[in-house]
Amino acid sequence: MKLGDYEVKLEKKVRVTGWEATTISLLAILIGLALVGLIFLQAGVNPLTGYRAIFSYAFVNKFGLPLTINRSVFILLCTCAFIVPMKAGLWNIGMAGQLYGGTLAAFGVALAFGAKDPQTPTLAPGIVIPLMMLGAILGGALIGSIPGFLKGRFNTNEIVVTMMLNSIGFWLIAFMIKEGGPFMGGGGEGQGFKLSESIFAPMVWGGTFTIPIALALAALLYFMFAKTTLGYQIKAFGLSPSAAKYSGISQQNVPLLVFMFGGLIAGLAGYHYFAAVPGVYKIPTNYGDFGDLSFYGIICGLISQGNPLAAIPFALLFGGLTNGGRFVQGQLQLGYGIDYALLGVLMITLVAFQFFYRNTIVWKKMEREK
Amino acid sequence: MWEFAARSLNASTVFTIAALGELIGQRSGILNVGIEGVMLFGATVGFIVAKTTGSYLLGCLAAIAIGGLIAALHGFFSITLGGDQVVNGMGIWILGFGLTAYIGYPYTGPLGLERIPGLLGLSPFFFLAIGLVVLTWWMFSKTSLGLRIRSAGENPSVTEVSGINVTRTRYLSVVASGMLMGLGGAIYSLSYNPVWSINFLLGWGFIALALVFFSMWNPFILFGGSILFGTLWQLSLNPQLVLPNVLSRYIWRTVPFVITIAVLVLMSTKWFSSRWGAAKPQALGLPREEE
Amino acid sequence: MPIQPVKRGDTVLEARGITKRFPGVVANDHIDFEIRAGEIHAILGENGAGKTTLMKILFGLLQPDEGEIYVHGEKVTFHSPLDAIHLGIGMVHQNRKLIPAHTVLENILLGHPKAGSIPDLKRTRDEIAELCDRYGFKIDLKAKVWQLSEGEKQVVEILKTLYRGARILILDEPTSSLAPPETEKLLESIRIMTGEDLALVPFITHKLPIVLTISERVTVLRRGKVTARLRTADATENSLAKEMVGREVIFRLEHVEVERGKPILEVEDLSALNDKGLVALKGVSFSVHEGEILGIAGVSGNGQQVLAEVLAGLRKAVSGRVLIDGINISRADSLERWKMGMGYIPSDRINVGSIGAQSLVENVLMNYYFDGAFSRWGIVDSQKTRKLTEGLISEYAIATPGPDSTAKSLSGGNLQKLILARVLSRKPRLIIANLPTQGLDVGATEFVQNKILEAKRQHAAILLISEDLEEVLSLSDRVAPIYEGEFMDIIPVDQARIEDIGAMMAGLKRKVAQP
Repeated sequence: MKLGDYEVKLEKKVRVTGWEATTISLLAILIGLALVGLIFLQAGVNPLTGYRAIFSYAFVNKFGLPLTINRSVFILLCTCAFIVPMKAGLWNIGMAGQLYGGTLAAFGVALAFGAKDPQTPTLAPGIVIPLMMLGAILGGALIGSIPGFLKGRFNTNEIVVTMMLNSIGFWLIAFMIKEGGPFMGGGGEGQGFKLSESIFAPMVWGGTFTIPIALALAALLYFMFAKTTLGYQIKAFGLSPSAAKYSGISQQNVPLLVFMFGGLIAGLAGYHYFAAVPGVYKIPTNYGDFGDLSFYGIICGLISQGNPLAAIPFALLFGGLTNGGRFVQGQLQLGYGIDYALLGVLMITLVAFQFFYRNTIVWKKMEREK
Repeated sequence: MWEFAARSLNASTVFTIAALGELIGQRSGILNVGIEGVMLFGATVGFIVAKTTGSYLLGCLAAIAIGGLIAALHGFFSITLGGDQVVNGMGIWILGFGLTAYIGYPYTGPLGLERIPGLLGLSPFFFLAIGLVVLTWWMFSKTSLGLRIRSAGENPSVTEVSGINVTRTRYLSVVASGMLMGLGGAIYSLSYNPVWSINFLLGWGFIALALVFFSMWNPFILFGGSILFGTLWQLSLNPQLVLPNVLSRYIWRTVPFVITIAVLVLMSTKWFSSRWGAAKPQALGLPREEE
Repeated sequence: MPIQPVKRGDTVLEARGITKRFPGVVANDHIDFEIRAGEIHAILGENGAGKTTLMKILFGLLQPDEGEIYVHGEKVTFHSPLDAIHLGIGMVHQNRKLIPAHTVLENILLGHPKAGSIPDLKRTRDEIAELCDRYGFKIDLKAKVWQLSEGEKQVVEILKTLYRGARILILDEPTSSLAPPETEKLLESIRIMTGEDLALVPFITHKLPIVLTISERVTVLRRGKVTARLRTADATENSLAKEMVGREVIFRLEHVEVERGKPILEVEDLSALNDKGLVALKGVSFSVHEGEILGIAGVSGNGQQVLAEVLAGLRKAVSGRVLIDGINISRADSLERWKMGMGYIPSDRINVGSIGAQSLVENVLMNYYFDGAFSRWGIVDSQKTRKLTEGLISEYAIATPGPDSTAKSLSGGNLQKLILARVLSRKPRLIIANLPTQGLDVGATEFVQNKILEAKRQHAAILLISEDLEEVLSLSDRVAPIYEGEFMDIIPVDQARIEDIGAMMAGLKRKVAQP
């Protein structure tokens, strides 16, 4: 392609350095935010004012910041749940269903200990909380094992299966907390029962204890993929299933393993938000919104190029954007669902920018014709 | 009982038309997993236009246009930029999911127009769907255009070397597929269930994707599959017709999704998978190789 | 543009000064040649000599940076293959540019301007039948291409070009995937075509005897330049090879004598299916001993790939037993076989033998990650693996900036060296070498063949699968021609005659006739 005196060509990149990838990712976010800024304009709001309001509430305001952090941890966990199968070349878009499964299992444990009944004596947190977490992990892993097993054994399309399980999980929770279901909270408001104070998740340094757990998990995943044999096998399978098969890497076990791993992490996300975040401690009526929020895990996973540590700042950013967006949309008369619009536009911008991870634009001054 | 059957067939219409769109795109080699996104655009834009203008026709036309446009975007990412088609499809889906939630929210609620007159309770779109199924079959088996599309999906480099512009053929297929998906979405929001709410397609786009795989790219099998799923969907909403008072209605809502998974597992059996492998367009979802 | 009537011997296509550059290399450097009607003019060159580039330019797939092409005396520019086709140039590709799932008729018709929106199938069938009569081809138009033999597929491609009105046919490695009897048929067809004043240009890499048999003139390319223009009558295998490679090439390898030991691999009555569910191996039995090379000679598609995959543990057999060193491994998966001392060199070095996006170190790990010496408590010893990789790079003279470069940055020959290095460094007792020299140039081929002989000297048992009959005969101790999933016989190489083996590969013979 010729532009004036210059010839513009595309060259395939051989390898993307960390710095290049970060620059591309940041550029993608900026462009995405700018595009959503157009939506602000259309609603009669100055984009700069809008974003300033969003960021100040999300990160500076003393009520907004903890909410942001809680959301960010949720997103980080969903991102990790997405990343593990992503390294194996598989798509886990079922974080919603997996977190629903984990939530049901965790609250099931609490129920088994009589948490719903106000007459029950104070429960011992040292026993119930770890068991609830275990429940969340197993519940999520169980849901995750379905697409994993089917993929490994039958090569079933995991995108459709995980999506179906999202819907199935959604309705299962509805069953549990509405219209006389076993988890129904008092008063029939269509939400789950509230956990008693004794089994509120402990707070650590002013935040929920799930925060350090999530960070440690991200670090653990990073280490696993960088240094361990298992991580090597997963990556090899993801890059070339046929070469991995040749090397003796199990075609059936890898999908099952990564989906169970992803599922258990998503289960933890459910435990985190519904059982650990102050002010919630139950399955709320709007639990579906969190299923929707889990899709941010996809964007975050893609933008961090599958690096769990790089995902941390991005998760924080997205947590702030969605939190601030929701808070501010009423105030600025932006129209409901600005966080959904953000999700959609950011995702497509990211997808468009995938192009730049693979190609460079090369400018060459053309030699003048003699 | 007949009403149940009619509603089922009307539901199936949405599946048929949207899945036919994806079938055409896939036969040219382009995989779009974001059918749900395209359908959401068609459904939402069609709904908004119909509501504000009071015209079903304008709503449908708007849906067809936006569907073609969004699919063209997918085509641009996948054909011209040569990106991973699954990533692109995911992008289209999330874009649709996110953006339509925002633009549609002010229109939450019923459409408020007089229902389109039907025949015996069957919407006119059902007959349109039958026509489209036959037309698609005829195009692929009898025309040169069909041969070109099929060849582009089997082996683009052979097709190119035979003198056919594969890029143009694929764009054509993808835009046509988007137009059909948009129309499918509009049929949902204007005819089958004319009430807008966030994410009101409830995963139908993914079921349509499964349907295309299940149909082994044969329009007639696809039509049969759509009828099956339309019926299952109606059943999940009205379980009292089959098994009254058994299981909460929420459990029944999961039925279509469970059956979809079951169908996919069925597709992995020996009988199915060898035929499926043979029927599959060999270049489906693959990037164009450098010559 | 109408096709001019030509007389035999007229120049139909002339290339002057064709030059094409790619980053870092001049693929074609001022190449001149001309093609005459009714003549077979072979173009000879190694991989990397610029053959493929030249072919693509002649067919309109690439544009030259400099130089001109003249067809029937008029200067032409090709913007796409369509332009070349309009001028009567057709190409018959090595990898069969056909669509396997479609019928012969559909393949011939694809993209044909006469087809119209709704093709008139009857008329097309009649016209093609007439072509078949004229040139002596026999083909079922309704058959699906995947069902055809290699020779029949080639006929379909030829028909396709002829039906588009081609008078100048470019043939890309026309005999490389044919068994000797099919080659005969092809040569017959070529003679008929030249009799009809068509011009044929075969591009060949290393089947030198074929060049001598079929062509009238030869142009040799080396490193993008024309190094020789000869009349075939004046050339010999050696003189051609010398022009191709630039040095004397030794054609016969030293036969290595090693004492044959106990059987390492024993196969009993092995049967297996291919991906389409059809029987690909029919009750094969054989054994391979320490210090011996058993060569399986056959045209591709006769079950060799399935056999290799079953032995490597990548495919389940339907029945039969496989034993390594007396232990029944029929149920063992691929990982266990690697641990037991098997080494598999796959035929597909890009998709199966390596992971392009990963570094050389990570590629070496493919056969080492399970080795306790290189990974302990689940953690990979990256330093040790790196040192190993560096050692292999220097021992095998792999041309690469370093162990961190990606596998896909390696050329074909160097990639094969890496795979060989990785597999052989494990000192396997059983080596399955599947098409180890396919697609490699003369230099790399020599290297690989010598490494295999070296492994033989170290008493490994080696199963060699190759489509190059000469290679099989020069390397193996015993030869087993395979046809449609059966071994026609297993013959010691000193009793094997090339005509017999060739006949067995085509299914025409079983068991060597006793003298």
